Amino acid sequence: MNQFLFKQDNGNELMLFPHILEMGVRKNLSVQLNAFPEIVATRFCVYYVIDGKFDWQVAGRRSIILPKDAVYVMPGEKIGGVNGTLDVGTVAWIHLDIDCLLDKGRNQGKWSGFSESEALTIEHIFRMHRAAHLPILNEVSRIFQDIYTELQQREVGYASMVNQLLDELIIVLVRQLTRQSASSRDFPKKFLQLEQMLRQNLAHQWTVEEMAASVGMGTTSFTERVRSYSGFSPLSYLINLRVTEATRLLKQPDLNVTDIALDTGFYSSQHFSTTFKKLTGYTPREFRKKNLYL
Amino acid sequence: MDCFISIELGTNAVRVYAFDTNGAIVGFNRGAYTTFHPAADYSEQDPEQIFITMLFVLKNLVSEIKSTGKYQIVSLCFSASMHSLLAVDRNGVPLGNAITWADNRGKQETKRLRTKALARKLYEATGTPIHPMSPLLKILWLKSNQQEKFEKTSMFLSIKSYIIMQLTGRYVIDLSLASATGLLNIHHFGWEQEALDYAGITPAQLPDIVPISDSSCKLKRQYQVSLGIGPETKIIVGSSDGCFASLGGGIMEEGRATITIEDSAAMRIIGRKVLQDEGCRMFNYILDEHYYISGGPSNNGSVVFEWFSRQFANYTDSYSDEMVMRDLLLMAEQVDAGADGLLFLPYLLGERAPIWNPSARGVYFGANINHDRRHFIRATIEGILFEMYSIGKLLLQHRDISQITVNGSFVTAPLISRLLADIFNIPMSVNQHVSAVSTGAFLLSAKEFGIYRSLEEAAKSITLHAPVHPDPANHAIYAKYHQLFEKLTDKLSPEFELLDELTLLSDKH
Repeated sequence: MNQFLFKQDNGNELMLFPHILEMGVRKNLSVQLNAFPEIVATRFCVYYVIDGKFDWQVAGRRSIILPKDAVYVMPGEKIGGVNGTLDVGTVAWIHLDIDCLLDKGRNQGKWSGFSESEALTIEHIFRMHRAAHLPILNEVSRIFQDIYTELQQREVGYASMVNQLLDELIIVLVRQLTRQSASSRDFPKKFLQLEQMLRQNLAHQWTVEEMAASVGMGTTSFTERVRSYSGFSPLSYLINLRVTEATRLLKQPDLNVTDIALDTGFYSSQHFSTTFKKLTGYTPREFRKKNLYL
Repeated sequence: MDCFISIELGTNAVRVYAFDTNGAIVGFNRGAYTTFHPAADYSEQDPEQIFITMLFVLKNLVSEIKSTGKYQIVSLCFSASMHSLLAVDRNGVPLGNAITWADNRGKQETKRLRTKALARKLYEATGTPIHPMSPLLKILWLKSNQQEKFEKTSMFLSIKSYIIMQLTGRYVIDLSLASATGLLNIHHFGWEQEALDYAGITPAQLPDIVPISDSSCKLKRQYQVSLGIGPETKIIVGSSDGCFASLGGGIMEEGRATITIEDSAAMRIIGRKVLQDEGCRMFNYILDEHYYISGGPSNNGSVVFEWFSRQFANYTDSYSDEMVMRDLLLMAEQVDAGADGLLFLPYLLGERAPIWNPSARGVYFGANINHDRRHFIRATIEGILFEMYSIGKLLLQHRDISQITVNGSFVTAPLISRLLADIFNIPMSVNQHVSAVSTGAFLLSAKEFGIYRSLEEAAKSITLHAPVHPDPANHAIYAKYHQLFEKLTDKLSPEFELLDELTLLSDKH
């Protein structure tokens, strides 16, 4: 690929694609000081190294990026060359407004073909891995090339093709990410990460597929692994966490029982009450009364 | 038939076993809970999660047992890890998470106390070594670092006391767990005023001390209904996991010892007298009013071997953890005793007994060009076992030990028990019971129901595999290597400190 730069407010290549904020390729023939200062990304940024060797800080971690490697950062994460330097080599990048993808429900400029549950799973995976260096990801090269060609030649149906290619790019990144973390070597660590993620968002109606994907495993092997590690099925473990959190919240007198039910992921206060009573013998209200006046 | 339930509140999980009157396991269930490490040296657990997990697991087991129509549940008996601390307010609401035995945040408080003459006095009175694991030092840490929380604390509990409080509405602690708090006088079984004064707390802030066989707590009505357990079922308070492991290992007589290697490890002996160690290196905990369990704990049990296998074993997706472990053990077997001169100091998590040095580190020593992976595997295993022998040698200065029972999945592998026998030059018997802790809980419960007249008689019912006998030639080799092992540990002590300072410095930058 030759050097180029498409920008939203400069030229008309991206007119039909408000979600692509910038795309380009740069061939850097000599070391450039202060050409790539560390900045906080405001959008979803994907980089792909075509040749050369780059020494970068990716979300506070130093990484040596080699040809065929991809790097991405989510909005809010830092990226830049070490000491702001841009090393010799060729790098391609694309900046996307990924909020459209992740906030599927409210999305007006709908461009992605992901179903709602796929989009949610992808969102969780990116939330757990807010930035990553993914070594040797050949597919990205072809996708970049195809997007560029489509944008250049504007043949019939190019708008759909570009959006499909963007979906493909995201799938390739996510799959590599999950594979990279999927080795069974350190399941306890991954399980801890998962638990922390679940605890932070108990109100969400988690599915087993989502939980499995967020630690980079298939549903069947995930369920088996969780069962042998924790003694519970993934969904029972989740209910367990919900009741745990509800128990804690019920001991705070200023919270409303219905709010507690919804905050901890029960469909309704009725559902909460039934589940809670089955386990503890108390309805949530009785439990609260008992625990506040000892 | 009568059925006895044991509830083990362990380090990583709650395990619930149901025993029939013959001691056969007729039901089992377990549920894991999480340990959080919000900062270096911190190790915490969520008390509500432990409680809810315990309820889930117990409820499932009870309904399973009842569905057979064959058993009548006559008792629940509790055991728990030692040294946990949970602060609660006047309504009994937890003020944050529980702090576990593995938490080292009280390092500074420990250093300060060790410089005082009081340290030895407290050790002798309470039997608990002066170390961050001890609830005494955790309370001191709280007092100097989280004053507001300290002042809001109405009661200082162990996790088990909290669980029993939830179920029965009473604040109690059994004598055995109480003896591991650093706050109990182990000679006359009451709170040690000098320790309480130093911690800045009053006896009213601690639960009532009860014997391990106490069954005066009654299950709240709601839990009777939700669990399906009637009011006639006895709630037996039980003991600490360490003390039950000795009872369940069948060693209610002098001359015998247990070695338990789980994540962490310990070697224990039993006796009617407190074991006086000049160096304050051994613990003396109470089993019941007649027996003390003495010994030393190591941080570096099978957790070290698991670390090794995570880093260096050949993992492919088709392999299970057990397969990986088996492969490593097979490779270790191809190398002779002493790993051709490769030694390993296993202090990946600092160390408790016998050196009590939280700054200690792991060291491979003596590598040469002929060593390969197999030697490193062998040396790693031998290092873990040498450390048990360092504890064992101290105990042997005080008591004759003619036979040792080994517990825990790591140590019951044939290669490991054989190596232990060679290193100690003492026969090792593998405990074939799945859980020594719960077996101990069963024996106590069965005694309460008159199946045995005494704990001594109960312990005799434990059957062990035929012992593994030592090979004197191997022992001769190990005896020499162990001397070198101890020398290295001792010699490197200042360097461990230096490294600790260096890494503390670089953490700050």
